[in-house]
Amino acid sequence: MTNSTMTCEEFDAALPDHLEGTLDGSLRSAVEGHLRECVRCASLVKDLRNIEADAAKLPELAPSRDLWQGIESRIAAPVIPLAARPERTRRFAPAWMGIAAAALIVTTAGITYTLTARSLSGSKASVATVTPAAMNQPNTGDSSAPQSVAAGTVVAKTDEPAPASPTTGPNRGIGEPQNRSTALMVTRTAPSEQTVPSEAVYSKEIAALQHIVNDRKTQLDSATLAIIERNLRIIDLAIEQSKAALAKDPASRLLSDQLTHALDKKVELLRTAAMLPANT
Amino acid sequence: MAAAVLSTVRAPMGDSGDVALAAAGDRQAFERLYRTHSSRVFTLCARMSGSRSRGEELTQDVFVRTWEKLPQFRGESAFSTWLHRLAVNVVLNARKTEGKHSARTEQSDVEDERRDEMSRAPLHIERMDLQAAISKLPAGARRIFVLHDVEGYKHEEIAEMMGITSGGSKAQLHRARLLLREALQR
Repeated sequence: MTNSTMTCEEFDAALPDHLEGTLDGSLRSAVEGHLRECVRCASLVKDLRNIEADAAKLPELAPSRDLWQGIESRIAAPVIPLAARPERTRRFAPAWMGIAAAALIVTTAGITYTLTARSLSGSKASVATVTPAAMNQPNTGDSSAPQSVAAGTVVAKTDEPAPASPTTGPNRGIGEPQNRSTALMVTRTAPSEQTVPSEAVYSKEIAALQHIVNDRKTQLDSATLAIIERNLRIIDLAIEQSKAALAKDPASRLLSDQLTHALDKKVELLRTAAMLPANT
Repeated sequence: MAAAVLSTVRAPMGDSGDVALAAAGDRQAFERLYRTHSSRVFTLCARMSGSRSRGEELTQDVFVRTWEKLPQFRGESAFSTWLHRLAVNVVLNARKTEGKHSARTEQSDVEDERRDEMSRAPLHIERMDLQAAISKLPAGARRIFVLHDVEGYKHEEIAEMMGITSGGSKAQLHRARLLLREALQR
């Protein structure tokens, strides 16, 4: 609609300032004149005013459960207020960080050594298993040839377990019967040898890192800590589910991989949390 | 506009004793403060996040943060006002942190809201109540609408808290009101 002084489009442009009450004299008069004549715009202003008024009167909401327990458990750890932190503590903070860093390095080095030694011995065994089967197929040097891809993949994957399904992931090229059986031989023997002891090593590192993170909880930003804890719960759930599935099918390389992957993620997250600067 | 002022007026007289005790580490006093203010904090968190479940998580974050920050409370304003401002900051910072870590976009935010229980209004309804309509707003417009029209903050205050211009705040507020009108008339 249009009247003598203002169109609806012009009114729409001036509307936010009109609602705020910040229009200057001449424009305000034009808007008020338009409102007297235009039903559409008058209705719009009335509705928006009602929304504003209703919003200010909205009732309080109530949580669906008592949140205090969750809060209490999070504040149970002693908090050292930054402003009141004694100078002595601050002076020793770098030394503490140094010890924590050294502990991390020693633990990580130990795990790396253990896993590397284990995977090296595993590789040798797998190569020995694979070689006769691979020899049945001539290596043409053509990277697209199924047999060469398969043999290469199986040997390579002794360090990094292959997925159980031959139709997905890096083993997609496996198609020859002898290669498939070779792959199965590797996937059937490796998990029981590798997962159980390495899981113990993981547990050790996780416990050590968890201890450091627990000690540092009061130094970390609560929002960051909440995110870390939420993610840890998700990872723990994945670990539990993988273990349960692995208990039913101990020979599954896929499940073994899932478990290792979840444990890796947990170590990585805890390590990151342990090394976060204070108040981040 | 009046809501923020009202929150201060509504604050119980006994707060200052409990605030002092809680600042000194008295958890029972802090629980009393929680009982007194939890509904108001939850309301703010749930409305700003557009989700009751997220509102509950954020409420816990707010009170943990309050516990940590209480020794710094100087009593220059009412405790309820200070707590309210801290709650707004926690909600806004949580959004930034989530954005940083998961690269969530406004679009994904809206999609999340659609899945949320507050947004599960039947499609066939003729009129939607204001609370449900607010939860369906895009995140940016929703936060500004809640802060301005529900909580009573001024555009300048919102601009400062959110790191935007007051013109941007006005524009988002107007957009939110128009979207609400459309939703309520459906």
